[in-house]
Amino acid sequence: MAKRKMGHEAQGRAHPAVPVLHADLLNGKISRREFLRTATLLGIAAPVAYAMSGAIGTGGFTGRAHAATAKAGGVLRVSMEVHELTDPARFAWSPQANLVRHMCEYLTITGADNVTRPYLAERWAPSDDLKTWTFYLRKGVKWHNGDDFNADDVVFNLTRWLDPATGSSNIGLFAAMTSGDKDNRRMTSGAVEKVDDHTVRLHLNSPVLSIPENFYNYPTMIVHRDFDGDLSKKPNGTGPFILSEYAVGEKAILKRVPGAYWGGDVFLDEIHYYDHGSASTAQLAALASGQVDMTFDFDMPSLELAASLPNTTVYEAITAQTGCMRMRITEKPFDDRRVRRAITLAADNTAYSAQVFRGRGLLGENHHIAPIHPEYAALPKLERDIAEAKALIVDAGYPDGLDISIDVGNTDGPWQQHSCEILKQQLAPAGIRLSLNVMPPAKYWDVWNKAPFGLTAWTHRPLGTMVLSLAYRSGVPWNETAYANPAFDAALTDAESQIDVGDRKAKMAAVQSIIQDDAVMVQPVWLPKFFLAHQKVRNLEAHPTQYHQFNKVWIDT
Amino acid sequence: MLKLAAKRFVSMILIMVTVSFALFVLFEHDKLAVAGKVLGPYSSEQQRLIWLDENGYDAPFVARYAEWLGELVQGDFGTSIELNVPVADVLWPRLGNTAILAAVVFAVMVPLSLMLGVLAGLREASFRDRTISIISVITTSVPEFASATLLTAVFVFWLGWLPGTSAMSAGFRWAEVILPAAVLVIYDFGYVTRMTRAAMIDVMTSDYVRTAILKGLPYQRVVFRHALRNALIAPFTVIVLQMNWLLSGVIIVEVFFAYKGFGKLLLDAALFGDIYVIEACTLIAVLVAVVSQFISDVGYMVLNPRIRFDKVRA
Repeated sequence: MAKRKMGHEAQGRAHPAVPVLHADLLNGKISRREFLRTATLLGIAAPVAYAMSGAIGTGGFTGRAHAATAKAGGVLRVSMEVHELTDPARFAWSPQANLVRHMCEYLTITGADNVTRPYLAERWAPSDDLKTWTFYLRKGVKWHNGDDFNADDVVFNLTRWLDPATGSSNIGLFAAMTSGDKDNRRMTSGAVEKVDDHTVRLHLNSPVLSIPENFYNYPTMIVHRDFDGDLSKKPNGTGPFILSEYAVGEKAILKRVPGAYWGGDVFLDEIHYYDHGSASTAQLAALASGQVDMTFDFDMPSLELAASLPNTTVYEAITAQTGCMRMRITEKPFDDRRVRRAITLAADNTAYSAQVFRGRGLLGENHHIAPIHPEYAALPKLERDIAEAKALIVDAGYPDGLDISIDVGNTDGPWQQHSCEILKQQLAPAGIRLSLNVMPPAKYWDVWNKAPFGLTAWTHRPLGTMVLSLAYRSGVPWNETAYANPAFDAALTDAESQIDVGDRKAKMAAVQSIIQDDAVMVQPVWLPKFFLAHQKVRNLEAHPTQYHQFNKVWIDT
Repeated sequence: MLKLAAKRFVSMILIMVTVSFALFVLFEHDKLAVAGKVLGPYSSEQQRLIWLDENGYDAPFVARYAEWLGELVQGDFGTSIELNVPVADVLWPRLGNTAILAAVVFAVMVPLSLMLGVLAGLREASFRDRTISIISVITTSVPEFASATLLTAVFVFWLGWLPGTSAMSAGFRWAEVILPAAVLVIYDFGYVTRMTRAAMIDVMTSDYVRTAILKGLPYQRVVFRHALRNALIAPFTVIVLQMNWLLSGVIIVEVFFAYKGFGKLLLDAALFGDIYVIEACTLIAVLVAVVSQFISDVGYMVLNPRIRFDKVRA
């Protein structure tokens, strides 16, 4: 069957927005980073985009070869929790994907520089209206069982993700490929089309720019078309390593697959993950005594200890990871917008960075879009107003003040409880008496999407629209606030369809304002993240999502 | 003696059955909650009902309990929700790891605390007694997490002599047992030492020991032949009951050193809500408790023939 090329592609030219973006870059209207991100999303190869921006490309996450100095061989030992690895589509923790990322791969890859590049997809091309996306898959890629990687694999995965029975959060990311009400949302018929053995076309209900970046969200790794539901029992992937030993809660050993890897040189022989629990002290003690070569992360109070260890390097990432003290708007008293507004008005977001993170981390503005997100629009500064908060509480029917409780599970560390304690102090002058319901981390995950008021930790995503689509669009599985605002949904869809960075920022200003005004959450700070590694581990990068990708990492013996 | 042992054994069985029923009521009376735990928070009620039907949860409560009990007796504890493996596959190795740690602690702690307790009790209020007593009180008062932090700071971060964690990731290594065992010995030896000291003082001031000394028997013979056996009765009970603590109460140490033991398994299961692991671990912990109590009772009689529980009761 002949390939049916899309619009501009058929005419052998780049997407029509690319020259405009380039002109904006030259005129200083957009930054180099914004140009790189948007141009690559529109199908321009990263090296070409780097060249157009006048910079020398680094090759990014997968291409950092350092072939001249890299040494082959050796084992990288990492202290990180080893969770169950049954179904990648249902992964809910970054460590799960970190482990499997060396075995199963993604269609695209987003580097630490937030630029998305081809991976299992060799290239892609959106239609002019961004509603049809064609992905050209890499040829010659083999599964570990000898099968060819092809379009059937991609169709199989997308179909699984968008089947509600699978229970994958990916259904929210690819909402533009689904239809139905919130209780029965599933893939729109014909939304994914196999064009030929190595070409897949997506048909969206509405324009979306972030499709390539969506394909690097951690539960979107591609499994074999015959995947039977348990990867840990039948490991099979396209990556350079394969799971060799695995015991949940103990360790996972990945070994180099014999033969050439489609992605070029791979230096490590093995990667070992050892589970020492989530406590920073245990991970650092393991590194200090030479039991491992790097840790997954450590918390703020351990920074001095980590920095004091000899022959090690502290890696810090500026992230869009955060904690949302979010209210479930269908539960009393949070179903009353006046109560929610009173809480956000009484909170002082500027206090958290200083008191919890020693001045590190960026200021949050209660709309879950970070200043490092390319589409971030600066809104008027939030002002604390205790008098107005008090008046709203009285107006909402609580003349003697309001008693509420917040669930906190410290799922990402004790900073969460500290944040709730600060909020408790801040709400008191407004007559809101907040009590803390501290619970074990795993217990919190039982109630995270049911708790009337709770603090949930959210990981980094390269585009702000991705997290809004996952968590605040009406009816998506991870909508923990039960937020359902058609105006917000429409504004978000509108913003997602804007190619021009300036236009998208303008649209995002509306999106951010809507959710901020609806007072769904107190989201005071964007987290700094750290990990520690021995200096012999070379070519490491701190990825804002704490993603591991060790294909080009090597050990300097 | 045999009659008493048989009685104790029957009461052990009754305790186990009672505890198992209480556990089953606690964790499995709400069938939908069980299905929710297994299938996850995103599962619909329809999916949960299908799962319950497929897994025999449509039977009456008592029938389900009887079936569950029968499987338990055969060593089938179900499948862990968190780990996705049969509970028995993880339970026995973890129990074995904790038993190794407990054995090391016992091997060091028991002789050490008995020796110090006897030395202190031989001469009450002497300098030696006061020194041993103060050290015992201090070490017992220091929480396990504090001594674990201190020892790690010194021997891992400062001197670099010992491994910082005890996960046995690269296979069993004695070096990884040292720090967790040391913390447990430090925490526990003072208590047993104090008990031994008190018993020794009691015996050394008793009429028969005073008589033996006044009769002119050598002091060493009085101590080793006459005093020691009676002085060890009270510490023996305490030591046997430490078995229970060492098998299910050393959670802090196992978590701190990432030691893959029974306590860590129970904690992780409790935090995750892994009901089948919680049920199995609880039953094992209760079993260890009643068995250690049984050993304690029988041992008490062997050490002191004057004691007969059935006569006391009569």
